[in-house]
Amino acid sequence: MQDNIAIEVKGLRKEFKVSSSGKGFLGKLQALFHRGHKIITAVNDIDFKIRRGEFVGYVGENGAGKSTTIKMLTGILVPTSGTAEVNGIVPYKDRKKNAAKIGVVFGQRTQLWWDLPVRESFDLLRVIFRVSRSDFDRQMAKLEKALGLRPLLEMPVRKLSLGQRMRCDIAASLIHNPPVLFLDEPTIGLDVLAKQSVRNFLSEINRTEGTTIILTTHDMNDIEQLCKRLIILEEGKIIFDGETEFLKQKFVHEKVIEVEFYEDDCVMQGIPGVTVVREQGCKKWLTFDSDGSGIGEVIGTIASQYKIKDISVKEPSVESIIRNIYDNRIKLSTS
Amino acid sequence: MKPELFFKFASISFQKQVTYRFDCFVGIVNGFLYVFIFTSLWKALYSQFDTTVHNGFTLTAITTYAVLVMAVRISFTMDDSIIYRKVMDGSIAMELIRPTSFFFMNLAENVGHSLFHIMARTFPVVIISLLLFDISIPLEPVRLLVFIFSFFAGYILISMLNFAAGLLAFWFVEIFPFMLFKYALFTFFSGGIVPIDFFPEFLKPLVNFLPFQYMLYFPTVILTGRVPMAEVPSIIISQLMWILIMGVICSLMWNAGKKKLVIQGG
Repeated sequence: MQDNIAIEVKGLRKEFKVSSSGKGFLGKLQALFHRGHKIITAVNDIDFKIRRGEFVGYVGENGAGKSTTIKMLTGILVPTSGTAEVNGIVPYKDRKKNAAKIGVVFGQRTQLWWDLPVRESFDLLRVIFRVSRSDFDRQMAKLEKALGLRPLLEMPVRKLSLGQRMRCDIAASLIHNPPVLFLDEPTIGLDVLAKQSVRNFLSEINRTEGTTIILTTHDMNDIEQLCKRLIILEEGKIIFDGETEFLKQKFVHEKVIEVEFYEDDCVMQGIPGVTVVREQGCKKWLTFDSDGSGIGEVIGTIASQYKIKDISVKEPSVESIIRNIYDNRIKLSTS
Repeated sequence: MKPELFFKFASISFQKQVTYRFDCFVGIVNGFLYVFIFTSLWKALYSQFDTTVHNGFTLTAITTYAVLVMAVRISFTMDDSIIYRKVMDGSIAMELIRPTSFFFMNLAENVGHSLFHIMARTFPVVIISLLLFDISIPLEPVRLLVFIFSFFAGYILISMLNFAAGLLAFWFVEIFPFMLFKYALFTFFSGGIVPIDFFPEFLKPLVNFLPFQYMLYFPTVILTGRVPMAEVPSIIISQLMWILIMGVICSLMWNAGKKKLVIQGG
């Protein structure tokens, strides 16, 4: 493994055995003696490499295998086959060694002690991660400032709000200043302001500390603002791995025109390359092929034929692109 | 694991116990009730016979045994459903992302738990029993010292037994029946109810084949003075051997179980 590679994954696969029993009383009775087993492949032979200092979005629908991948890279789960290396360490073989060099946040859980004040939790983590007192104080001063932790330190964790707890959990994952940070839905359930402050902080440590960050999220604003690179997962397979900007560029001709007419019987005919995606009363959403005619030309044609009440042009958001990918409306060829 | 960390974990688990004060009070009553039932039973049984010594126990000796075996058992109180619960709610994931040994973290939690029960329950039960019953404990310093050693060895053994039993949660969704079975096996074969000396001959090979007697019976009889000092070294060696065997079992189960683990709740 080269020095500039933080994570390398080859043919990684995880299968779960799920037992299924029949329906109803008889089915359950039968299951007592004989049970059918089904193998579910959560992660299906994936490969990728992440260089040091990258900020990668790891996205996919629920059950696509994002969390399972993260759990294998953090040493919690053992892969069925394939290999993975993080910082040159095989996580599922050297769990403790790996754990010392990574930070992990699972948005739905906390690694803090429920009954202890935040400060004591941090102090316990300092001992767990063998951080020297001076390094700890320096790191804490930085985290306290960046994440606004000072008013929270004396509070027991169970009394924190979700947003407060998440900030503390992110700080907790960085106490030992790890070179690689795994974030599994760190913005789940946060309000807009809290989300933004978390994003600002993540972007800053990625830039200043060179921390490699792998982020799974369902919030596409996270991706658009933070992740230069995007890995999209579907049913355990990688269907896209490339730059976020590239994805936007590639589908930029998917620009949508939202028009509201005075009458609702307007038929879009005679305008080449224009298709109606959706209509609702007098409102219509149109897409057009940017290769055929320019946007001005399209609007001009519409305006000359019909009376327009309102018109606006919408840039495709990463969200809509990814939604289209999930819905199979956009076919990707894996690069 | 660094000792500092071990004590920190133990102290958190200790503090958690302190919050359950009512539990503790019921625990004292419960412990004393057990002692009362067993000593009364022995008294009634012994009064039925003309002979005063049965299987080497006088009434005083068997009363002493009944009190002390219960004292050791209370001291060994630990939460054996802890691993199962961590698997069920998926919080085990948060422990595996730390650079610490899962076994030692578990042991530290047990130690904190037990330490509380020793202070809050064992001592009151022993003191009340000393006042109420005819008990004789040989107060030889060396014997007391080897008892403490044997007590710790027994503690590590039962902690390993609970760890191995808890790991079954990696394979099976529901392990409560296993835990009941383990509890029954342990209580009976460790001499928790009746000293091993009273067991019928046909059971003795089985008892010697199982580790349970090294958890409760031997530490207790070292303290009561039933075992001559000359036999103590071989008992301690057997205890250490069982720690080794249980250690291998735990480590094999841990390595196999890791592959089976499923994190509940994503």
